[in-house]
Amino acid sequence: MKVIKVDPEKCTQCHTCDLWCGIEIGSTAKELNAAIHEKPQPVPRVHVEGNNFPLHCRHCEVAPCIDACPNGTMRRDPATGLVYVYEPTCIACWMCVMVCPFGIIAPSPSIHVAVKCDRCRNMEYPICVDVCPTKALVLEEREEGATWYGYAPKRSF
Amino acid sequence: MDFVQRKTEDSAVDHFLKEAAEKEIPLVWDRYEGSLPQCGFCETGLNCRDCLQGPCISHPFKDQNKVGVCGKDKDILAVHSFVRLVVQGAMGYLDQLTDFAQGVEAKEGSPKRKQEVDKILKDIQKILGNGDTEVIKKFPKALMDEWKATGVYPDGIAGALFKVSQKLDGGVGNIEETLLWAFKGALMGCAAQMLQGRLKAAVFGDTAPTNVEVNLGVLPKDIPVVLLYGHFSPLLKLKIADAAKGKKIKVMGVCTDSFVAPYHFPPVTNYGSQEIPLMTGAVDLIVTGDQCVNPSLAELAKIWKVEVVPTEVLNRGDLGSFAKKIVEKAQEAFKARGEISRDIPNMKESAVMGFSAKDIDVNKVAKAVADGKIKGIAILAGCNNVKFTQDHEIVSIARELLKKDVFCVSEGCASVGLAKFGLLNPKQRDVSCGKGLSTLLSSLGRNIPAVVDLGSCENSGVTDFLLAIAGVGKKPIKEFRMVACFPEANRTKAVARAAWTVAMGIPTYFWPFLPVTGSQKTIEVLSGFCEEKFGARLHVVTQKMEYKEKANLLMKSLERK
Repeated sequence: MKVIKVDPEKCTQCHTCDLWCGIEIGSTAKELNAAIHEKPQPVPRVHVEGNNFPLHCRHCEVAPCIDACPNGTMRRDPATGLVYVYEPTCIACWMCVMVCPFGIIAPSPSIHVAVKCDRCRNMEYPICVDVCPTKALVLEEREEGATWYGYAPKRSF
Repeated sequence: MDFVQRKTEDSAVDHFLKEAAEKEIPLVWDRYEGSLPQCGFCETGLNCRDCLQGPCISHPFKDQNKVGVCGKDKDILAVHSFVRLVVQGAMGYLDQLTDFAQGVEAKEGSPKRKQEVDKILKDIQKILGNGDTEVIKKFPKALMDEWKATGVYPDGIAGALFKVSQKLDGGVGNIEETLLWAFKGALMGCAAQMLQGRLKAAVFGDTAPTNVEVNLGVLPKDIPVVLLYGHFSPLLKLKIADAAKGKKIKVMGVCTDSFVAPYHFPPVTNYGSQEIPLMTGAVDLIVTGDQCVNPSLAELAKIWKVEVVPTEVLNRGDLGSFAKKIVEKAQEAFKARGEISRDIPNMKESAVMGFSAKDIDVNKVAKAVADGKIKGIAILAGCNNVKFTQDHEIVSIARELLKKDVFCVSEGCASVGLAKFGLLNPKQRDVSCGKGLSTLLSSLGRNIPAVVDLGSCENSGVTDFLLAIAGVGKKPIKEFRMVACFPEANRTKAVARAAWTVAMGIPTYFWPFLPVTGSQKTIEVLSGFCEEKFGARLHVVTQKMEYKEKANLLMKSLERK
């Protein structure tokens, strides 16, 4: 499956990725100047944190959020392997928020659903990768088993 | 990111776009595409580089990280972004004026009306002092009193511009106060523009409406061509035209004041396509000022072996010999460029340009508005912006307004854009105008086109027209059915112009968005607070809309009065 690779050396913390994430994914207008004035305020799914690192969902192979979700709201798209929130059934118990090892999932400030990055699964290309001016974000094929979190099944200790 | 939009409405420009793509010649549209996505923080005005502790940004979608290092919050950041543009724009007008005035003082030309020139020069001195100039007193007393009460009366560059520029440095001024300073700076620019227009008339004599031809088709094939780009001293233009007189050489203009009596320089194209004349191969020398000139010209000109001569250089020397050198260079270049083919599209449009308030019977216009024969008066200004299909917005909006019986005046590059589409051609007048407007225009004279061009942005044609209207209507400007629209603006000067238009009491629509959209409060202050202080709003419309909706907005604004 394809995931977003982050190169912290190239990231300048310009926040272009989270701004555009807010416009493209968070807003209904899909236009910067109109999105700003939308109520509720659009929520970006990417967070650029202190150390030059935009945090996205890693779509863990063994995903704690899917395991923790009590009613199957947190799902994995079988075709692409991407993890997403099926909003209609979210009961806002915030179990996923609690267990996410990367702190990616957040309660929406306005409605009772969990909000997370789904790597723009319905789009050809994730918007953050598209807009990153320094190419610190690139879309890359991830090897099966080379997981970011979980049991790292292929490695022996 | 891809840039999906038709580039231009002008088929003469379109003619060269394919060639440019094939030869991989980068034009403004390519560079724009290369810069996408543009910085959203800058676009919304939520950024600041006014000190070296920054740069600071404030995220429009997050409440945290709201203030800059020095404590500027979103609202102040947005207001400062506006102030920055206005200051730069007002300085543009002052630069034009002082450059010209210094030339006149140095006796670079022989003025037509000497006494008047001396009087205006003295007036210009006052700008450096307390700003109590004669020109600003031409405004109705009530309006001036309002300006004084609000505190925006332009009292000299020290009190207005220098002070305003320091608002960006710090201080604890609130949004409203800071914004008023911006209007004060803008009005200073207005005074400078009025002085320049008057000085020009006194030095060269009045200009009259003139028949000109516009668009790339005006370029000649078999004689040397000098193109004047952007704004620089009209004295130098006169000297160049003088030096070219009697020789087989043609002097034309792009983004410049086309009229320096007794000469005129046909506008070859307008701002958005200022690189295209080079592609015809029919340009032998380019003379450029700084304002309104794309730096890309220098590199592009090399492809067609054209020399670009900047006028705004240190130690320029005597204007007369500088002009002679330019003409000689053009002649030599024409010989040397013999093998370069000249591809001139056969597209030109005739137009009548260069009206001034005295050439129009404002009495009739004011009466027609009062009697409801026409719906109102619209001021169209601002040159092209790559964010819109070139000329599409302004021409379509103008056509909509004309159909709905709105008397349209235009200035500067906006006029050239409209002229390219025949809206300044008196013969095509009745095609585009509604009945009421048609009757009014034909009563004004045979030679009046659908849209009346009030000269370049180097003259204060529009301001003088407003003063004339206010004079005959005997009521404040803000009570007239008037609206101003900048559909494709791009220069800081246009922002300053929009600001002073609002200060005079005319509701103004500005596209693209001013960089204040990041702060809801600033947008509200620009409308509500300005309405309260000046009787007019500076509208910042954040929704994307088609030209028809824009025209409807303008119509609604006219009907409100």
